[in-house]
Amino acid sequence: MARTALALDTAGRRWSLIAAAVCLLPLLLQLPMPLPLVIAGAGAIAAAMASRRAAPGWLRTVLALAVFGFVFAQGGMSFGRDTGCALLAGMLAIKPSELRTVRDARSLLGFALFAPFATFLLDQGPLSLVLGLCGAVLVLAALARLSEQESGLPAATVRHAARIGIVVRLIAIGLPLTLAAFWLFPRLATPLWGIPDLSTARPGLSDEMSPGDWIDLIADDTPAMRVTFRGAEPSTREMYWRGPTLTDYDGRTWTASTWLRNLPPATVEHGAPTWDYEIALEPTERNLLVALEMPLEFPDGMRAAHEYTLTSTRRLDRVTRWQLRSAPPTRFEADLPDSLRRLALQLPADFNPRTRALAQQWRAETADDGALVDRALAWIRSDFAYTLDTPLPGRHAVDEFLFDYRAGFCEHFSSAFAVLMREAGIPTRVVTGYTGGTRNRFGNYWIVRRMDAHAWNEVWLEGRGWVRVDPTAAVAPERIYDTLEDRLGAGGGGGEALLPMADLGDWARRAWNDFVLGFDAARQQRMLQRIGFENIDTGGLAALFSLCAALALGWMLWLVARTERERDPLLRAWHRLGRRYARIGLARERHEPAIAWAERVRTARRHEAALVALTHRFVAARYAPSTSDTTLVRALRAHRPARETDR
Amino acid sequence: MPAFAGLRRRVEGWARPRRPDVLPARLDRRRIYILPTGFGAFVTALLATMAIGALNYNNNPALLLCLLLVGAALASLLWTQLQLSGLEVRAVHGEPVAAGLPMPLHVHVEAAPGRERRGLRVAIGDSAALLSLGDSGGEATVALPTVRRGWLTAPRLRISTTRPLGLARAWSWVWPTARFLVYPTPEASGPPLPDGGGDEAQARLNPSGEELHHLRDWRPGDAPRTIAWKASARRDALIVREFERPQGDDLTLDWQRLGALDPESKIRRLARWVDEAERKAVRYRLQLPGQPVIGPDRGVAHRHACLRALALLPDAG
Repeated sequence: MARTALALDTAGRRWSLIAAAVCLLPLLLQLPMPLPLVIAGAGAIAAAMASRRAAPGWLRTVLALAVFGFVFAQGGMSFGRDTGCALLAGMLAIKPSELRTVRDARSLLGFALFAPFATFLLDQGPLSLVLGLCGAVLVLAALARLSEQESGLPAATVRHAARIGIVVRLIAIGLPLTLAAFWLFPRLATPLWGIPDLSTARPGLSDEMSPGDWIDLIADDTPAMRVTFRGAEPSTREMYWRGPTLTDYDGRTWTASTWLRNLPPATVEHGAPTWDYEIALEPTERNLLVALEMPLEFPDGMRAAHEYTLTSTRRLDRVTRWQLRSAPPTRFEADLPDSLRRLALQLPADFNPRTRALAQQWRAETADDGALVDRALAWIRSDFAYTLDTPLPGRHAVDEFLFDYRAGFCEHFSSAFAVLMREAGIPTRVVTGYTGGTRNRFGNYWIVRRMDAHAWNEVWLEGRGWVRVDPTAAVAPERIYDTLEDRLGAGGGGGEALLPMADLGDWARRAWNDFVLGFDAARQQRMLQRIGFENIDTGGLAALFSLCAALALGWMLWLVARTERERDPLLRAWHRLGRRYARIGLARERHEPAIAWAERVRTARRHEAALVALTHRFVAARYAPSTSDTTLVRALRAHRPARETDR
Repeated sequence: MPAFAGLRRRVEGWARPRRPDVLPARLDRRRIYILPTGFGAFVTALLATMAIGALNYNNNPALLLCLLLVGAALASLLWTQLQLSGLEVRAVHGEPVAAGLPMPLHVHVEAAPGRERRGLRVAIGDSAALLSLGDSGGEATVALPTVRRGWLTAPRLRISTTRPLGLARAWSWVWPTARFLVYPTPEASGPPLPDGGGDEAQARLNPSGEELHHLRDWRPGDAPRTIAWKASARRDALIVREFERPQGDDLTLDWQRLGALDPESKIRRLARWVDEAERKAVRYRLQLPGQPVIGPDRGVAHRHACLRALALLPDAG
């Protein structure tokens, strides 16, 4: 056995490096910006270093330390899932520095397979998936090349396309087993260990908000969720997707009240109509949920706080779906206990004196809470403007907004409105979530994008309870309710032509979400119920999986062995006939001509004249193929060894 | 290590075929063995890690990727096995060589068309050769180590492959019933060929015999002027004169005249003389005890006849 290290040839090196690079690419695309360049640069240096001669050990160590140091410095010395992935990318990038033997190449390729895996922990988008799949195919092709080299085949004897073809065929042959395992393998309902956090969070809905911090979120048009309605659909003006409700205010930041979180949900009286819908929520790495105002009940895994801040019991690190019913509220917590009322009026002292003065003046002029709210809205409508270009707030942020620049976006409006109302003695809070959505014309569902994030207010009015007030809508209703389509249409240009394509793309993405990304233990159960397996337990599932896996393996065997089948139907029938005699101990010897064998059978057994005649016909057909004996194949197939009747 | 080697030998003893089989030998699934390579074990561990991680995080793309790789790996095992399945070893032929030199062993293999079979390895012990099959089969030449003169029974050949991915090695043993001739090792140095004088003296003792060697039966293609008409008339058959005579007279390599050497040394000296005579293009005859005289003649066939007779002399012990 050639156990000594087999030096890698040029083709093997090239294939290994390309495969590793393609595996690394989707991971690099997920890392924050300076990192991918540094890692790719390190990889190029490592590959160039080892292409001539073995890189000295100290140089490799220096390179490794430099890359790891840079990764840790970028991660701010905190170790999260993304830091881990960056480290993996760094290790993979400097691995080629010791690429000398076939063995080195194989370990490089093995580790390269972890790069797509790590990518999927960060992102499950189509680009990552396609690149990951390409990487895996190339890794297998590189392995095929290494195996060829090990067998002694020069690179030129197998064309690149043929090599890729072999790999694709292997994957295709294994596909039934893959799919059977994917859909039927028993899934873990609860993880064995938790998924590590990201060291830097992506902006999104959270249980705190300070005006100005959503500026990135409002420019992000990736989908936040997809909603399918069964039956009645609300109009876009009714689509307020309620997320975290923020009650506590410290002069700068609104946060959700931890006290309210542990109280049971407040009483709500619902009106008509009732909307029945399913939300497929994209992963957010948090456990905050949203629902149309106001949900009627809470499915398993969903918790509601007192003010209807919805949370999931598990963190949303993959696509999750929620079956919900909602109806607009008529009375929402009509009896507000004093303690809660005080909470909804609380304001930090020594902030925003001008707002306080205005609120007190209005309070003196207007006794009715409802009229006061209307007055404030009228003022905002007439004197304020919508802009994303806002200065950094100073100490009296609300004063500056209300009296100085008078322009901002939903965060500023809702925050200032809440402070103004609280100063006037009206219990008010900030509600965050999404508004509106875009209808997908292919899939009959709604897409809510991250840019649809919104903040509005609820004021508590005597007799009606909490009432939704949207000060931003008073200024710029088109920014809130208009769909992406309207905005593109208003902008002119080629946007409209692209819309159907974008819709189609999103529709395909949703199907992928349905069957692949969002597949879990619950959905597996539901899928099995639909095909007739009620309440199947893990053992039953394992049995079903084994059955399907066995079928798939059988299929693989058949598919791979198929080429060995005799192509000539005449010979096939003849061989089958021979096997029938072999079973009764009269197999034809290798050296025996067909007719001699038939004669031997006839001497050994009675009533085998038919076999001799058939054999003569077979021999004649084999030697004179021009005069085709059309019935011979059928006759050979039908012939059976004669029964021994003389017993 | 010796314990391991012993175990290995015992395991190989269980492997089929357990006794030599008549060629052509067809490799079927009963005699093809397949085990993961070290790299295959590494990949198995890697995929298991990926699967556990993906199941734990319920990360479906990762799981799907992992399962695709598992499917491809399993398919590659089948593929590996089927590279060997259906192979037919038609013939094994060893070119005779002097003992101690590696014997080139030609292994001729055929298979039904329809499947590409390349990069197979045919191995005997440590020596291996590449076998790639075309439409009309393929041939590999393996070096078979030889130790002593005489018949060498065919060893078990190992035909193996790790293609297409190198995850597993499939192998099959072929143990043909053939035996191969090993010539004796010529001695490294020694006395030169017996000089012509001695041979001449012997030739004079038998002058009639010498004349006969100049004539031979007519064969198609012989020029008419070479026909010895008188001799032909006497024999009632066409006899031709052999003009193409080697320079010098025929050599006689005689076992009896080697004196008091031990038998193996005599064999080795005679083997060297045979080779030397061939090199000098001298006709020679070989006289061995208890055997008819071989020759005189020269050429490949004659050399083979002489060396074969030497190789097959019984052992002294």
